Amino acid sequence: MGSHLLEIQDLRTRFRTERGTVTAVDGVSFHLDRGEVLAVVGESGCGKSVTAHSILRLYEERGEARYEGRVLFEGRNLLELSESEMRAIRGNRISMIFQDPTSSLNPVYTIGDQLMEPLRLHQKMSKKEAHDKAVELLKLTGIPSPEKRIREYPHQLSGGMRQRVMISMALACLPDVLIADEPTTALDVTVQSQILALMDELRNRTNMGILLITHDLGIVAQHCHRVVVMYLGEVVEEAEVRRLFRRPLHPYTRGLMKSLPQMHTDRSARLHVIRGSVPSLHEVPGGCRFAPRCPHADEQCANARPELADAENGHKVRCWHYDKILQAEETAHVIANET
Amino acid sequence: MGKHRLNRERNRRLLNRMLANRSFVTGSILTLLMIALALFAPLIANHDPYEMDVVNRLSKPDAGNWFGTDNLGRDVFSRVVYAAQSSMGVGLTATLITGALGLAVGLFAAYYKFLDHLLMRICDGLMAMPVILLAIFIVATLGAEIRNLIIALTIVYTPTIARIISSAAIVVKEQTYIEAVRSQGASNPRIIWRHIMPNTLSPLIVQATFIFADAIILEAALSFFGAGVPAPTPSWGNIIYDGKNVIYNAWWMTVFPGATIILCVLGLNLFGDGLRDLMDPHTVKK
Repeated sequence: MGSHLLEIQDLRTRFRTERGTVTAVDGVSFHLDRGEVLAVVGESGCGKSVTAHSILRLYEERGEARYEGRVLFEGRNLLELSESEMRAIRGNRISMIFQDPTSSLNPVYTIGDQLMEPLRLHQKMSKKEAHDKAVELLKLTGIPSPEKRIREYPHQLSGGMRQRVMISMALACLPDVLIADEPTTALDVTVQSQILALMDELRNRTNMGILLITHDLGIVAQHCHRVVVMYLGEVVEEAEVRRLFRRPLHPYTRGLMKSLPQMHTDRSARLHVIRGSVPSLHEVPGGCRFAPRCPHADEQCANARPELADAENGHKVRCWHYDKILQAEETAHVIANET
Repeated sequence: MGKHRLNRERNRRLLNRMLANRSFVTGSILTLLMIALALFAPLIANHDPYEMDVVNRLSKPDAGNWFGTDNLGRDVFSRVVYAAQSSMGVGLTATLITGALGLAVGLFAAYYKFLDHLLMRICDGLMAMPVILLAIFIVATLGAEIRNLIIALTIVYTPTIARIISSAAIVVKEQTYIEAVRSQGASNPRIIWRHIMPNTLSPLIVQATFIFADAIILEAALSFFGAGVPAPTPSWGNIIYDGKNVIYNAWWMTVFPGATIILCVLGLNLFGDGLRDLMDPHTVKK
């Protein structure tokens, strides 16, 4: 215990809204190790972004969120640190990059000014030193003619370039943890793979841990080591990537996988759709949260909340019937193969 | 160097856009004219604005007294020229203080929710009162002095600026780049002043020119009620006030300072309109 780089234990984030308090993240636990890419996947509104923001406590400034549980970083609980201690960690030890690179740079400052910001904040560099370092950082992320780019304004750069700038900024102080909140969602597919390759390369070089928030299972399969699947504020499944793709246990995860187009299946058939939609956080179902949408749900599911249990070798799942469902499916497979 | 050429090119294009904007050009010319009037008053005026000539009371405009003389025989032209100093000085000082104060109030109210309720309710309260009544009340309470006049104008106009800044800042505050600098470890004051403030400057500058124009009118109105710049210092308002009693036999005492106020305020408003068009990329004319 305590040997992980980042460990989240039973994290709960609540927001006060006009219709009452909602718990956007409800008892989430997972960990991240050095040099590892951990994916957090789920539909919009499942709490994956809120989890990421909660690690850096980005909501509380405005007094709108309450956190419970523990976020252990090198043994220290981030949720108990003072605001100034927290500032020393943000952007320095733990950095974050955001979904939309077109709005994550301030339009009134040059790229250089913004790149120098974390350096000036954390490393007390002089302007000259910071400038040289900024050029170096831009070069690191593969931006051509960095000396020229550094004097340009965000609107003069393409989306992919801006995301590279964001990555440079996040890596400026060589953080131990990089939180990437859907870093490629707003980008073209080709640019997307460049950015992800870049992140892989930089991770190899610095041995940082990356927490990758995404809803793209393709990215997960290619770039991540372990996966946490979230649904409606809780973790429903956690496994190594290969294990998860070979044998997803939770009906929700299985639904997600089935909704992906496959190379070897009939392409004229319609894609699988998980029926229903994510309920509002104001009306969270009582038992298993996925029960109203689950094809296998029974009375037990509607009434009692399953625990996140270890199914096999660290593959964890939050479902009452995962073994029965698997068995039924295997039988169906056997029958299908025999006929 | 390519960079210099690029900059020159950009400057040239900006200049072209400015010149193409007719209200900006007219407004700038009028405003500069008024500023020149105030700055070079001693060179422009052909008489001492305080020198009385009892024999020549209320004489018509002529070659010696271009705008005629007033009820004490003072040269109205020279008084109007010198009045530019007090009228525009009061207006400008009040605008600068209002701008700074309104900026701070607006930014803090936008950033901190608990301050929002407090500060904006105070602003609402102030804005609920008729401007002129509030200003007269303040000057009457504090006494008719130039300093108190500036205080009154500041109190009257700060809520307007604060409102505009706060609504602009609320939009900026929710942008991802603000969240991004927070995730980099920037403190609240740094976020407010370094990252939010510059994004609210263009509405501030535009609004400030309108406040400047408004302040000149309000100063004139207050002087007209006797609550403005105290005699014998000339201001456009108190020259009109002096001319009020003799308006039927000495029209020049009211018409000339009145026309000057109109030109000055018109100039500032055109300037502000033009500035707004230039600064807001959405209003570029097709």
